[in-house]
Amino acid sequence: MKKIFNWVLTHPKSVLLMLVLTTVLAVSQMRHIHIETDMDAMLPKHSDAYINKQVLEERFGSVDMVIIGIINDAKDGVYNTKSLTLVQELTDWLAEQPQFRTLALNDLLSLATIKDIRGSDAGLDVEQFMDGVPESQNQIEHLKQRMHEFGLYEDVIVSADGSGTIFAVRPMPDSRHQYAEIYDLVKNKVAELEARGGSERFFISGRPVIEGVFGVYMPAEMKRMQPMIMGLLLVLLFLSFRTARGVFLPIAVVLMAEIWTLGTMAALGAPIYTVTTMLPILILAIGIADAVHFLSRERLLAHHKAYAHRKERMVEVMHELWKPMLMTTVTTGAGFLSMLASDLPPIRDFGMFAAIGIVYALLITMLFLPAALMLLPEKVKHAERKPLFSGYVRWLGEAVLAYPKRIMAFFAILLVISVAGIMKLDVNASLVDQFKPADPLRQADKMLNQHFSGTTSLDVMIDTGRENGLLEPEFLQHLVDLQQEIEKNPMVGDSSSIAEFLQTMNQALHADDPAWKKVPDSSDLAAQYLLLYSFSGAPDDFETFVTGDYRQAHVRINMKTDETKVIATLLESLKDKTDLWFPADKGFKVEWAGTGFTVHRLSEMIIDGQVASLATSIIAIFLLCWWMFKRLLIAAIAMIPVSLAVTVNYGMMGNFGVPLDIATALTGAMALGIGVDFAIHYLHRYHEESSAGNSYRESVINTNRSVGHAILFNSFVVIGGFLVLLSAALYPQMKLGALIAATMVICYLATCYLFPVLLGLGKEKIKV
Amino acid sequence: MKKLSLLMFSAALLLAAPAYSNEMTGLDIMKLVDTRDDGDDLIQNMKQRLIDRRGNVREREMVSLRKDYGKDSKSITYFLAPSNIRDTGLLTWDYDGIEKDDDQWLYLPALKKVRRISSSDRGDYFMGTDFTFEDIKQTPELEDYNWTLIESKLIDGHDMWIVEGKPKTDELKKNLGYSNTRYTIRKDINMYVRVDYWDRKGKELKYLISEEIKQIDGVWTAMKGTMTNVQSNHRTELSFTDQRYNTGLSDRTFSERMLKRGYRAK
Repeated sequence: MKKIFNWVLTHPKSVLLMLVLTTVLAVSQMRHIHIETDMDAMLPKHSDAYINKQVLEERFGSVDMVIIGIINDAKDGVYNTKSLTLVQELTDWLAEQPQFRTLALNDLLSLATIKDIRGSDAGLDVEQFMDGVPESQNQIEHLKQRMHEFGLYEDVIVSADGSGTIFAVRPMPDSRHQYAEIYDLVKNKVAELEARGGSERFFISGRPVIEGVFGVYMPAEMKRMQPMIMGLLLVLLFLSFRTARGVFLPIAVVLMAEIWTLGTMAALGAPIYTVTTMLPILILAIGIADAVHFLSRERLLAHHKAYAHRKERMVEVMHELWKPMLMTTVTTGAGFLSMLASDLPPIRDFGMFAAIGIVYALLITMLFLPAALMLLPEKVKHAERKPLFSGYVRWLGEAVLAYPKRIMAFFAILLVISVAGIMKLDVNASLVDQFKPADPLRQADKMLNQHFSGTTSLDVMIDTGRENGLLEPEFLQHLVDLQQEIEKNPMVGDSSSIAEFLQTMNQALHADDPAWKKVPDSSDLAAQYLLLYSFSGAPDDFETFVTGDYRQAHVRINMKTDETKVIATLLESLKDKTDLWFPADKGFKVEWAGTGFTVHRLSEMIIDGQVASLATSIIAIFLLCWWMFKRLLIAAIAMIPVSLAVTVNYGMMGNFGVPLDIATALTGAMALGIGVDFAIHYLHRYHEESSAGNSYRESVINTNRSVGHAILFNSFVVIGGFLVLLSAALYPQMKLGALIAATMVICYLATCYLFPVLLGLGKEKIKV
Repeated sequence: MKKLSLLMFSAALLLAAPAYSNEMTGLDIMKLVDTRDDGDDLIQNMKQRLIDRRGNVREREMVSLRKDYGKDSKSITYFLAPSNIRDTGLLTWDYDGIEKDDDQWLYLPALKKVRRISSSDRGDYFMGTDFTFEDIKQTPELEDYNWTLIESKLIDGHDMWIVEGKPKTDELKKNLGYSNTRYTIRKDINMYVRVDYWDRKGKELKYLISEEIKQIDGVWTAMKGTMTNVQSNHRTELSFTDQRYNTGLSDRTFSERMLKRGYRAK
């Protein structure tokens, strides 16, 4: 090792050049970075939710639509000539935009495109509800009445009370990268309509819009938070060192580590997910610790003039520090790498690149700092300032020894409260809930859910196993039964299937007699109805509900929420029914898809991954500690503060009603990996103190005095860094910031307050 | 040198001459297409193949009878396959011009009833095919389009006219679903062999190719027509067999009673 250190110190320019070149290389890669906004891409490619979503699109052409709602709180709602003129205008406008695909009826649904099926003595009429804007009150009343009698679109396209109506329009295939522009386009048009000063209010939502907004938020968030965390680091570094090199050298180290990490991500083709936008913050906050350790140690030795030449001094610093730094990097890395136990690509990527990032930070610290210090002019005077908080740190050592019982009681109570909280811990992978309650998008979504059947899609695909299978009366009746069962759930706004349309046609062809609103009694009749419809309506009207060979049927469900709990309950309650009505042994196959199902699978994977990664990280870190300290007991003690902090973390989530989601799921393993560093530093020092022959009391006081300050600085940086996330635009990031910050506080307290008490347990005291 | 260029000039004039000699306009050409002899009546078998973008095929077979009444016509179509729609029949009275809506009746054997169907918009798709009601007519309503002769050229050994038809008004564009159409017409038989369509947004939408053109009973007939939608990659193949022209179909053939009775091959 010393040989390497010597080489670095004798070739500082080459080392710097190498670092600069690597950085340039990383920067050149960064333009390949791409942002992943597709919610389904958060799932692993082998997940059935991911696969079924493709199948759904492939088989039924069913895709996520942009949704626009018009709500008019005036007496007649949207049933007035002025509002309906707006509906017509917006529909025509949407049909003309090249960003939307408007080939078939289902590509653009609005009051101005949907069709009415009506029976008369002579035949069947399929015509648009609105053929041009109705002008007289009679026409409007007629429209209103037809909408109500037809029923299928009530609450779906027009709200039951007539106060609002929606548009659903399909973006062009493969236009995901344009979703943000599409949102802007629609927003501008809507603003133009609103500016005319009517009583109509407009709301825009839908998956493409949500994903588009994510796509804009993510890079903006990264750009905005970078200067905040840098500012924080500058302040903390200045307070600690009060020299230019003390401030700028560590900053250079972490910036390089950040660039290298992003460059690596780009080179490996890893996309930026919402959670990985937090990587830069993480690397800056954690990576800085090594640089700070290095500089403080170097300065201390320089102050004491322990070595004649600065090269020898550097070698000593490097030699002294590389092992503990490697240890803490390895344990922190183990915490992050444990996230690879999750199946979810964003969490896996986060863990992997965070680990890579801190390894880079260590490497750069050990190369860049010595090389830079060799080249910078040697300072003549090395004034030692008392670090801030030295008074507190000294007091701490004494205080801890004075009140062991109170400290134990405090942590015991905390533990009890936390365990109670864990019982209440929930999971929620909702996409909409990622936005803050006041976000316009979430507001729009809420309004649309209040007035209409719901913005979250949940889809059932049923394969009957044979051609024309779905035309069988028995099957159609079971589809009706399934829909009734589904609609029992209060959070289900509506469901639709081919069975509904066939019932309506059956009624229409029996002189609109409601007694005939039932499925056709023979397969042939159903086939003939569909043929009949194809002469009047557009045939693709049904392509989203049935395949051309009438083998597979699709039931579309609109839900008012995408909260995990609601969807899990619904799916659970339907399991028995679908097994009964569509038995697998008779060739049926039932598959789920849609946003709701994606959220459901995400939640399951978050929980599974959570348990797996926590277990992995606890075991890995425990084994590392055991290997480091060579004693089982000490390894066990080292785990106490972090285990406690992690317990408190989940307890807080339960107690404050913060659910596990794709971001907060990271907190456990992350807190474990970062927090264990404190324990390692503390125990290391305590070990040296007690091996030097000091008593328990002296060891505690000395340990606090020497590493107490470093641990405090570390805590400040990590806590401060994560508090920056409180300014995040997305809810999960905010929550994660608050949680990690709080957990680090507990971790700090447990290390500096609880450790000494624990080490003092037993008559013999614990020897480290 | 002067002589040579003069010679070339006259040669060019001579070559260009046939295209302009009779001063045909786009509308003139389309009128020729419209009035082409297609028999006074016709019986033929028809096979419909609907092919989606994944290559799944849905087939229907039918027999179709048509009789002209001046510029109007009546037709009756009986479905033969698949079996679940066998004997379903469609009767259409097609009136020239746009003043009067066409009449349509459908007989559903499972219901044993004849039902009148409301007339469709011209831009609506026909029976799940890639043809709209406008497309399945022999020629579009000529007065709704501005016709322009784009060029004359030789394609596959035939002299062709390329005629462009743009719907006259925005309203028509909306109803028809097209902003532009382009017909490739064989000069020798006044029959189009290819039609290209552009959607309302001006994007290429679909194209029709008529193939296997033969003379049957003295009438030029395309045995196959394929419409391919380039946006949805959906395709419809229509193939026709057993044409019999001018057999003297009686007026009674195109009645509700015959619709109910079903098709009896003679």
